[in-house]
Parts: sequence; structure tokens; C-alpha cells
Amino acid sequence: MATIKLRQVEKRFGEFQAVKPMDLTIDSGEFVVFLGPSGCGKTTTLRMISGLESVSTGDIFLDNRKVTWLRPSDRDIAFVFQFFALYPHMTARQNIAFPLQAEGESKDEIDRRIKEVVDLLQIGHLLNFRPGKLSGGDKQRVALARALVRRPAAFLMDEPLGALDADFRESMRAEIKRLHLDLKATTVYVTHDQIEAMAMSDRIVVMSNAEVQQVGTPAQVYYDPANLFVARFIGSPGMNLITSQYGDGVVRLPGSNRYAVAPDWRMALGEGLDSDDVIMGFRPEAAHIKPDGTLVGEVYASELYGAYTMLHVELEGNEIIHIRSDRQMRYPIGSKVRFDLDPEMVRFFNPKTEMAIN
Amino acid sequence: MSTVIKSQTDVAKVRSAQPNPRRDLSDKAIRNIFIFPTLVLLIAINVFPLVYSLYLSFTNYSAIANKQPVWVGFENFGRVLSDERMWEIFSTTGQYVLFSVALQLILGFALAMLVRDKFFGSGLVTTLILVPMMLSPVVVGLFWKLMYNPTFGYVNYLLGFSNPSLAPDWLASRWAGDPTPGLALWAVIIVDVWMWTPFVMLLILSGLKAIPDYLYEAAAIDRASAWFQFWRITLPQVTPLMMIAILFRTIEAFNKSFDLVMGMTGGGPGTQTEVVAVTLYKQAFQGQWQTGRASALAYMVLIIIIAISNLYIRNLNRMKEGA
Repeated sequence: MATIKLRQVEKRFGEFQAVKPMDLTIDSGEFVVFLGPSGCGKTTTLRMISGLESVSTGDIFLDNRKVTWLRPSDRDIAFVFQFFALYPHMTARQNIAFPLQAEGESKDEIDRRIKEVVDLLQIGHLLNFRPGKLSGGDKQRVALARALVRRPAAFLMDEPLGALDADFRESMRAEIKRLHLDLKATTVYVTHDQIEAMAMSDRIVVMSNAEVQQVGTPAQVYYDPANLFVARFIGSPGMNLITSQYGDGVVRLPGSNRYAVAPDWRMALGEGLDSDDVIMGFRPEAAHIKPDGTLVGEVYASELYGAYTMLHVELEGNEIIHIRSDRQMRYPIGSKVRFDLDPEMVRFFNPKTEMAIN
Repeated sequence: MSTVIKSQTDVAKVRSAQPNPRRDLSDKAIRNIFIFPTLVLLIAINVFPLVYSLYLSFTNYSAIANKQPVWVGFENFGRVLSDERMWEIFSTTGQYVLFSVALQLILGFALAMLVRDKFFGSGLVTTLILVPMMLSPVVVGLFWKLMYNPTFGYVNYLLGFSNPSLAPDWLASRWAGDPTPGLALWAVIIVDVWMWTPFVMLLILSGLKAIPDYLYEAAAIDRASAWFQFWRITLPQVTPLMMIAILFRTIEAFNKSFDLVMGMTGGGPGTQTEVVAVTLYKQAFQGQWQTGRASALAYMVLIIIIAISNLYIRNLNRMKEGA
């Protein structure tokens, strides 16, 4: 299996900069997800790695071999397309056999290799159907089989579950993850679905506006967002972000709420801020409602999600935050709630640079 | 009148205080008013001649003889089938159809591949290629007759023949004065190919443009060579449209070759370029004006064309089933 290295890779379409110069190293066997809203350049980056899109500047290495200007066929990668891209005039079996036939494999070898992937993906019953007769999930299984049968150095997947129904998506997600664990193949996976990204990846590359915002494990991206974009984008709802003032170890929220900063943060805040302005951030589950809590707000709305209740709480100064609370608790709308923050889970951002302080 | 329509007119009456006579026309009546003129025309100039000629094919009728048609049963069909000349004519027609459709297909495909991708001036080139198709066949025939002329024609000039007595006389099937059978038929086939290749190109081009890019992307990822992509993706993907092109051109080469052949050779020299459409014309409108016999022949051609079309269409449907 292969490592993938991007060095200052950039893509321009005329004046438009689709991907700003980016560096990235993907280890052998790693499962990396490109996550971002549509139009952020994640698919373009993936297509550049595959060779379906040319690179404007920069270089791409596969296993330390420079492949920047090689054709897709010379890169030894497989690509799984969002809309499957199966050959409509061929049966599933012929589709899977296609890459082997293109390489001129013998008939026996083709039969053997097809049997292997068919057993792995358990799609034996689909082989004689054409794509038009298959469901979305089955189409994607066949497309996966076609990618797997060649034993490429790396798999590139462009929103492979994007065209599937929601309930299908979850089971296919698990299937792809299992496959990756079985094969230990380097995989780059593009999605705009953060749940997919969190569930499947070893590392997430968060992209927005043609730029890499953060590269990190799912936990890093979730708990330690590098900037305001990542803080808002990851998690649903995203991180609570409150524009406040800081001085003398105390964050002054709009209105009368005050939050005493843990001692080990004071130094960092002193260095990271260039004025009194600060943005304080915390996840909905970082707030704990208790009668003697130091912060106070008014219940604005309450949504029962099943396992828990999501409270929308209005702070003084009209700031609305989300607090995850116990599902048994009932908070009438308009009632006052008091809460404390888990100091381990509070983050600060510089409002000017929008970067996290740490 | 159904109750539904009644209630609709009721609604209309309620809506307008002053009853408007046009509103009382039902949808059905309006539909019939639209259809009626077309129906009359269709029956008068299409259905009636079709049925009447079927009747005439069983009579000894001649359009210039002032005699009532007399029922002769299958005599006309028998005479057509036992006429030795007829087999020769059908063989000529067969060659004509086979070679011209095959050449049009090959050249049309090549041209379509050529103008498939945009390049500078590709729109203009495509339009220019289409010009022959827009001309009248008779005009085309007459132009080519001039171009084939052995003494002042452009064809021989471009082929480098300077001495007319050593050059081929295309439409007379002679090469340097020696009879060369088949030359005239090929001359006509070349013109048919020149004229109708654009049509085939157009159909195949629309097929090529309908092939989604992602199939080629997938093939590139699957490491298929350009040749492999052509055979395994391009060709199967345009086959349905190719079949339609073949179907159209076969039918037309069978009976609409008439104007071209008539304009160039009139079936000659001798009967070398006499395709069945020309025979039909000759029997029906020249010499004896054998209307009955010509009708019988026309019906036999019709049956052949229907049979061939059916084969094509069945093939086409079988292909579409999978897609």
C-alpha cells in the first residue's frame, strides 16, 4: 500500500482558485477523509490525486514516485464515483471484469479475482444484472468491487454514499469501514457529511473556501478546532461561540455572566489576544445544568432528540447557545437555568484572526 | 356526453354571466375539430392510394388504357417473381444498399469522431459537412453527372486523367473505351455516400455526445487504452443510434435512391444501375403503363422493407432492454 504526498498543490480554473496551495501527507494504510461544504475544493483535490484533473502548480507523489503529470491509468489508483459510473451496457460481472480485461489478464485469472471480490463483498447474486436493474446500494457495491478487483495502491472515493438513501448509507458506511480494516488500503474519502467523516476516518482534512482549515483525528477536529470555521462546521449543532471580553483571568460575557478562566489558560490568552476581545467556545455537552451554576440563561426552546434534550438557552445580550441536557429533565420555556462549564472543554479564539488560542 | 363534461360546462356557465356559445364545445368536440382535416387528408392521399393500389395489384389495370380493371388474381405477382430480369434488379439494389449504407456508416462514424470534440471552427466544419444532405437529390444527381463527365468533368481532372480517351467514363461504365461493368453503379454509390454520410454522421454524433464523460473517466481509472475504450464503451454506447441510422438509410436506399439514379443514369447503361425503384417507375409510367404489375412489385418491395425494418427494430429493442 502506498503513501500519498501533496506538495503545494494548487488548482486554478482561469481566474478562479479552486484549491489554494496545500500540503498533505497521507500514510500508508491510512483512511483520510476530506470534509467540507460543497464547492470547497475537496473533490477537485481528490480528482487531482487521481489524475482526472490536472494540477496547476505543485507536485503529487505516490509512494515517493512523482506522479504529477502521469495519466490516471499510470498511477495505480482506484476511484469510486459518487454516481457509481458503472458501464450501463455491461452486466455487473462485465463491469468488474473490465479493469482486468483492460490489462489483458487471462480468463482464469479474471475468474479467480472476480470470485475473490464477489465473496468479499457478497454480491454473487448481482453478477448477471445490468446497473439499470440494481438498487443504489448494490450499484455502489459493484462499483467498489470494480475498484477492489485491481488491487490498486490507493482508493479514492468521491462521496460514494452521497447518492444513497439515508438508511442504506449507514450500513454501507460500516461495510466500507470493514473493507478498509480488512485490506489496510490507503483510502482518501470525500464527503460533506461530518458523521461519515467522524465515523470512518483516521484523520479528517477539513476544507473550506479552497483551503485546508485543519488536519487532525476526529477527536482533535471535534474538541480542538483550529479556527472558528471548524468550530462551527463540526458538530450538530456546532460549537457555542460567544463574543466576550477578557481581562484579569475573567471572561466577561455580554450582560452580567462571568466565567473565571482556569489558571493554565491565562498565559496562553495573554499571548494569543491582541485586545480585550475574545470568542469563548464550548460544545453543547460541556455545559452542565445545576442549581448553583455560575452562568445563567433563559430557556428559549427545547428539543427532545431521544437520547437527550437539546436546550436552546438565551443568555443576556440575546446570545442563544445550545446545551445538551438529560432527557428526563423538563425545562419550561422562559424558565431560568443555571449551568457550569467543564473547564477541560472550553476553548478560546482570537476574533480578528479567527484562530484558536492554545 | 359524460357527466363529467356536463359538470364542466356547468362550471363554465356559472363562471360567465353571459353564456358564450364557444364555451359549450366539449373538449372532445374541440379535439375532433382539430383532428378532422388531417384525417381527411391522410385518408385521401395516403390510406386510399395504399388500399387502392393493393386492389390494382390483383388486376390488369393500365392507367392510360380506357378500360376498367379486370381481376387477375396473383398473375401480376407470379409474373414479377418469374421475371429473370427482376432478380438482376434486386441484386443491383442489394449491392447498392449494402455498399452505400456500409460506406456511409464507416465514413459517418469517422466524421462524427472527428467533430466530436470542440476545436477552432468545429461548428463551421460540422455545418459544411451537412450541406450535401440539404440539397435536392435530383440537383445533386445532375451536378455529379457534370462532374463525372469524361471530357470536362472535375472527377477525372482531380484524379489526374488528362486524356479523355484513356480516362474512365463513369456513368457509361467504360474505362478507356473498354466496358467496365460496375463502374456506373459505383459512381452512383459514391454520390449516395457523398450525399447521405452527413446524415449518418449527425445521428452518430448525437449518440457520441450523449455518452457521459464519467464513463471515460471510469475507463481511464480502470486503465483502459484508447482502443479498448473505443471498442468497449464508445461503440456499444452509440450502437442504438447506429442501428437507427442503418434502418433509415436502408429504407431510403431501397426506394428513395430513385431521384439520384434517375437524375444520373436513368438506370443505365443498359440496366447496370437499374435499382428496383427505377424499375417501378418504368413499369408504372413508361412504355406499357402496367399499373397493376407495378403495384404488385411495389407491394413486394414494401414487404421486403417491412421485414428488414422489423429485424432491425427487434435487434434494437433487445439492445435497449439491457441498458
